[in-house]
Amino acid sequence: MRYLRLLFVAGYFCLAVLPLVWLVGTSFKERADSISVRAKWLPSLGPVQAEGPAFQVNAEGYRQLNQVYTGAAHTFYHYLGNSILIGVLSTLASVVIGTCAAYGFSRFRIGGARDWLFFILSTRFLPPLAVVVPVLMMYREFDLQNSHLGLILLYTSFNLSLAVWLMKGFIDDIPRAYEEAALVDGYTRLQAFRLIIIPRAAPGMAVTAVFCLISAWNEYGFAMTLNNQEAVTVPVYFAGLQGNVQGLPWPQVTAGVLLFVVPIVVFTVLVRRHLLRGVTFGTVKQ
Amino acid sequence: MTPDRKPGRRRDYMKYGFVGPALLLLIAMNIFPLLYSIVLSFTNADLVGGDSRWVGGLNYKFVFRFSQYAQALRTTALFVGLAVAIELVLGFALALALKPRFVGKTWILTLLLIPMMLPQAVMGLYWKLVLNGHYGIVNQVLAAIGVGQPQWLTDPDLKLLSILAVDVWMWTPFMMLIGLAALNAIPGHLYEAAAIDRARPWAVFRRITLPLCAPLLGLAVLLRATDALKQFDLVMAITGPNDPATQTLSALLYQVVFRDGKVGLGTAYSYIILVLVIALASAFLRYMDRLQRREASP
Repeated sequence: MRYLRLLFVAGYFCLAVLPLVWLVGTSFKERADSISVRAKWLPSLGPVQAEGPAFQVNAEGYRQLNQVYTGAAHTFYHYLGNSILIGVLSTLASVVIGTCAAYGFSRFRIGGARDWLFFILSTRFLPPLAVVVPVLMMYREFDLQNSHLGLILLYTSFNLSLAVWLMKGFIDDIPRAYEEAALVDGYTRLQAFRLIIIPRAAPGMAVTAVFCLISAWNEYGFAMTLNNQEAVTVPVYFAGLQGNVQGLPWPQVTAGVLLFVVPIVVFTVLVRRHLLRGVTFGTVKQ
Repeated sequence: MTPDRKPGRRRDYMKYGFVGPALLLLIAMNIFPLLYSIVLSFTNADLVGGDSRWVGGLNYKFVFRFSQYAQALRTTALFVGLAVAIELVLGFALALALKPRFVGKTWILTLLLIPMMLPQAVMGLYWKLVLNGHYGIVNQVLAAIGVGQPQWLTDPDLKLLSILAVDVWMWTPFMMLIGLAALNAIPGHLYEAAAIDRARPWAVFRRITLPLCAPLLGLAVLLRATDALKQFDLVMAITGPNDPATQTLSALLYQVVFRDGKVGLGTAYSYIILVLVIALASAFLRYMDRLQRREASP
């Protein structure tokens, strides 16, 4: 039984992790090696035989990311810049607005608070494609189509549900006694919020920011349908490369994919103790 | 500064200052578009703009007559059912296997959880390299052990299965994570009592483990189902929006609105999807409300 369990875990572990290892390997290959019908799985620093299973490690995939490929108008870095700008600004906005709202719901008596909170959560379940058409029409009126601001607004509102719910969980954990003492000492409500609550909620805000950033970073449906020239993010850029008739330049694609997902992996490791909270909107705390 | 301890009117306004911006933004970006699209669904609006005319319930009539819609509904139902079931069983089995303490547990778990955090659209594209029938590594491994060469990306019978496989790869960790949380919350004395009674392992699993994990697993299933119902990124990356074998509801909606440019018809479609999503989501919300209340009053 014990060995069966070990075998099961080891088997799943290999299946889950090998694709990622293969991704890293491919990014260091030459184009011919990346689509060779004799799998090249053995990295080698020196020259290799053409027929063997080894491939020579080279960084061309990374170096050639500064080229423009069929299906895109700019280089990978241009789109990476868009992703960073949109991701960071929308994350900041949702964390700030979300923290304020969470504080409001946590500390004040608000009529129908429960219903409002569930309304906020329900917006997370809307399929992007069901909302995108009217949003597109609305953006046309305000000239927000194809703009960074348009996507930032959309991602901010999309991530608000997560931010409000996660932050409410974190703020509920801060004892009320702290601010009540501050209010008695003559602090105003805003001062108490800024000087007492914010410092204590900061770790929670950091965790919330990571989840908002990842979901904005990974988003594809809105980004693709609202933009076809400006403000194109990396996921849309990669999808656009598919039109290449000569096949994809896999070493460059995998190198780009890797650069794109490394921040996510780093952040996942950083918030590993809070992953459960993050994926259940703060309702399940460990 | 004078201490202001009485709950006065000013404080009442203050609370709207805190929650107001969030609610306003959500109303502007979610409620308004949804109401606006009700109007659109009764017109023959198209994507390029121009004049649109009121056509009454024509779009809705057309949706129900359209066989592509029924097909997309079937594909989506099959996809959601299979994805959730496989991920639940596999993920919970992993959680059971990974529950005991061992060296390096935190790191193994973190590594296993990574696929869940990655961008689906981008990983879907990468899997096309892995699953390619000609030079993909999967088929090369299959050839080496003497099994056939399934054409994962072009065989109409296998395409949906390929998307399903990538979905399972990405989302099984999610079930594992919640399964582990559920297992860790079971009080140890229950197992001790069962050991004293010499209960069989299967009986312990059925009478203690499963019932106590069920509420959280139910939450996980609902969350995953609402997500799988929206599946779009992987379909777009692996087969494109207009493949009859893999056309999910979202993919069909994309095809109708953005390829065919029929906004009125598309919004009518989207309302039917919304009804499904709202049904699932409200089940989820009610469920979560119950869980929370129970947690609040132990």
